[in-house]
Amino acid sequence: MSTETEMGSGRTRGVFDRLRASPFLSDLLSNRLALAGLVIVFGMTAIAIYARLFIDLEAISLTQFGANPPRAAPGWWAELFGGGATAATGGLLEHPFGTDGQARDIFPRVLYGAWYAMLYGTITVGVSTIAGVGLGIVAAYFGDVTDNVVMRTMDVLLAFPSLLLALALVAIFPDGLGLWRAVAALTLVYTPRFARVIRGAALAVLEDEYVDATVALGATDPRVIVRHILPNCLAPITVQSTLNFGLAIIDLAALSFLGFGAPTGTPSWGLMLSNGVEQGLLTGQWWWSFFPGLFLAVTVLGFNLLGDGMRDALDPRMREAID
Amino acid sequence: MVSLRFVAKRLLLLVPVLFGVATLVFAILQLSPGNPARAIAGQRASEEFVRQIERELGLNDPIWVQYGRFLVEVVQFDLGQSYTIQRDTAVSTILRNKLPITLELALYGQLIGILLGIPFGIISAVKQDTITDHLTRVGALSGISVPIFWSGPLVILLFAQILGWLPTSGRIDAQRFAIEGITGLITVDTFVQGVQATLESGFAVSHFGPFFSAVSHMILPAATIGIYSMALISRMMRSSMLEVIRQDYIRTARAKGQGAKITLLKHGLRNALIPVITVIGIQFGSLLGGAVLTETVFGIGGIGTLLVEAIKVGDYPVVQGTVLVFAFLFTLVNLGVDITYSALDPRIQQ
Amino acid sequence: MALGAWLRPRVRLLATAGTIGTVAGALALLALAAVRTPEFASTQTFAVGALVLGFAVLGWSGSALAGRGIESLQTYLDADTGWTERDSRRAMARLSGFGAGVMVGVVIATTLLM
Repeated sequence: MSTETEMGSGRTRGVFDRLRASPFLSDLLSNRLALAGLVIVFGMTAIAIYARLFIDLEAISLTQFGANPPRAAPGWWAELFGGGATAATGGLLEHPFGTDGQARDIFPRVLYGAWYAMLYGTITVGVSTIAGVGLGIVAAYFGDVTDNVVMRTMDVLLAFPSLLLALALVAIFPDGLGLWRAVAALTLVYTPRFARVIRGAALAVLEDEYVDATVALGATDPRVIVRHILPNCLAPITVQSTLNFGLAIIDLAALSFLGFGAPTGTPSWGLMLSNGVEQGLLTGQWWWSFFPGLFLAVTVLGFNLLGDGMRDALDPRMREAID
Repeated sequence: MVSLRFVAKRLLLLVPVLFGVATLVFAILQLSPGNPARAIAGQRASEEFVRQIERELGLNDPIWVQYGRFLVEVVQFDLGQSYTIQRDTAVSTILRNKLPITLELALYGQLIGILLGIPFGIISAVKQDTITDHLTRVGALSGISVPIFWSGPLVILLFAQILGWLPTSGRIDAQRFAIEGITGLITVDTFVQGVQATLESGFAVSHFGPFFSAVSHMILPAATIGIYSMALISRMMRSSMLEVIRQDYIRTARAKGQGAKITLLKHGLRNALIPVITVIGIQFGSLLGGAVLTETVFGIGGIGTLLVEAIKVGDYPVVQGTVLVFAFLFTLVNLGVDITYSALDPRIQQ
Repeated sequence: MALGAWLRPRVRLLATAGTIGTVAGALALLALAAVRTPEFASTQTFAVGALVLGFAVLGWSGSALAGRGIESLQTYLDADTGWTERDSRRAMARLSGFGAGVMVGVVIATTLLM
C-alpha cells in the first residue's frame, strides 16, 4: 500500500508542477462542481481509512441474532414513522441505517464498504493504468505494425460493452478467486482506455523536436521514455484514472450484484445491494439496499465530477468552447 | 434513398460477426475451468457416469474435431441442449421464449433514452454555461454515476411501494391475465388481443386491460434503463451541437438575418444529429449490458438473467447461444443505424 | 488483373501473419507439453489460437459495422487517436492470420509428434 501512496503523491506533484504556469489549477478550483467532487473523494477516502482501522471486519460479517433485531428500521425512522414489530428501541441513533436479515447493523458495514470500493478500485485502476501506460508507450515509440496491431486491438476491446466483456472474462477465470476474479476481469476491460490516451500523449511528445535532438545526442530508448515521455503523460494519466475510478467502482459492484464478486457476508456495497433488493425491497426494508447504493452513487458521482472538471481544465478544445 | 446493395453488403457482415463470436465462445469455453460433463452429471455423480457423458459429447476427440463439429452445428442453427437450466430443452427454444422479453425492454429503454437525451443535449448546448446547462450536465453525469441496480430499487420504492402507482416486478398482472400471443413482445401481443376483442364484440375498456397491465409493468424498467442511455446521448448531443454552433455557416446564416432559433433548427440540428446517431448503435451494446442488471432488479426473466445464470451453473450451450444472440442483435441494430445515417447524410452513400 | 492487384497484398499480409502464427503455435505447444500433458497443451494452445482468431474476425467485421460510431465517439467524447476503419481492418486481418496460424500449428505439431 505504501508504494501506492508514494506513487500517488509523486504523480500529483508532477502534475501540479507542470501545470502551475497553466490555468489548469485555477480552472479546476474555480469549477464548483469539480471542487464538490474533490471533497467527496477526500471524504470517502477518509471513511475508508477510518473503517479499515477501527471497524472489526469479522464482527460485522457474522450474523448478529440476539444482539440486534433482524430487519429493524433505522432508529430515527422508527421514531418518526414507526417501524412495525421489529422497530429499534434505543433512540434516534440506534442502527442509523437499520439492520439486515442476519440482524447485522448496516451502518458499519456500509462504512467498511468504502474501504472495499477504494481498495479494489485503486487496484483495478492502478494495474490497468500501468498496463495501459506500458502498451501505449510501446505502441507510440515503436510505431508501424506494432502500433497498428496493439492499438486496434485496444479499440476493438473498447467497443465491447464493458459489463458483457467483464462477464465473459469472469467465466474464464477460476471460481475460487472471489473478488479477485472480478478485479482481474475489470483490469483487462479498463487497460485499453489508458493505452489509448497514453499513446496519444506519447506521440505528441515524440513529435517534439527536442526529443529528436536528445536521441541524436545518444539518449537510449528507456532514457527517452522515462525522462521525456512519462512526465509529459502524467496529466492525461491522472484525468483518465479519475474518470475511470468511478466506473470501476460501479462495475465491481455490478459484478458483486450479479454474484461474481465478493463472497457471501462480505460488506461490499454491491453485495449488500443485491441482498437488500432480493430479500428486503418487496417486504418493506428499503434501508437494506438504500444506504449501500447511496454511498456507491455518491462516491462515483464524486469521481465523475472531479474527472470531468480536470478534463475540461486540460482540454484546450473544451476551454475554447467555453471562451 | 438507401440502395439495396448497401443493405445487402451490411447484412453479409453478419457472417463474419457470427463466425467470430462462435469461435470466441468456443475458445472461452475451452479455456474456462470446469468440466461440462461434470456439469451435466451433477456434482455427486460417479466418475464412470461422467466418463460416459464425455464419450457421448465427444469431449475426448482432438480439439480441432470438436471445433469443426461445433461450427457445423452452429451453421445448422443447432445450439445444442441445455445442461442444467432447463434440462434437455433445445437452447434455441429457450432463447426463442426469452429473447422478446429482453428485446422489448431494450427497445423501450432506447426509445426513452433518445427521446429525452436529444432534447436535453440541445438545450444544454444552446444555453451553454447557464444554470440550465449546469443542471442538465449534472443530471446527465448523475445518470451515469447512479448504477442501474440502485436507481431500479429506488424507483420501485417510490412509484410502486410508496405511491403505489405502478407494479413492482414482473411483466403483467399474472393473477388476472394470462400471457399469450405470437410475437412474445407483451405490449404488442396484449394490444392485438384487445383489438381482436374489439372487432368481435365492440369496444370496451376491459378488452385492453391486459395491455394496460403490460404497459404499466414496462414503465419502470424501461425508464431505469432509458435514463442510463439518456445520459450518454445527451452528453454526445451537447458536444456535437456545440461544435456545429461554432461553425461558420451558422454564423453566416445568422448574419444574413435569420432568427437564431430557425437557423439552429434548420442547419444545426441535422448536422449535429449525425454523429449522435452513429453512437446509438454502439451504445446499444451497453444497453444490453444494462438489461442484464435491470432484468435482475425487476424480476424479468429475459436473456440477460439467463446469461448470468448459465455462467454461474456452467450451462455452456446456453451461454454460447445467448452470446450469439447478443451479437446478432448488435449487428442488426447497427445496420439500422447505418441506414438511418445514410438517409440523413447522402454524401456517404456509395 | 485488378483482382490480382487487390488480392496480392491482402494474401501476403495474411500469409505472413499465418506463418508466424503456425511457428508460434507449434513452439507454444511443445513448451506447454514439456510441463503439462500433451493433451492439455494441445487443447489449451488451440483454444488460445481460436480466441485470437475469433476476436480478430469479430474486430474485423465490427470495424466495418460500427466504424462510424467509433469515429464519432472518439471525436466528441474523448481523445481523437486517428482511428480509421482501414487501419483497424488491416490490424485485425493480421491478428486473424496469426490466430488461424496458431491453430494450424497445433494441429500439425500434434499429429506429427504424438
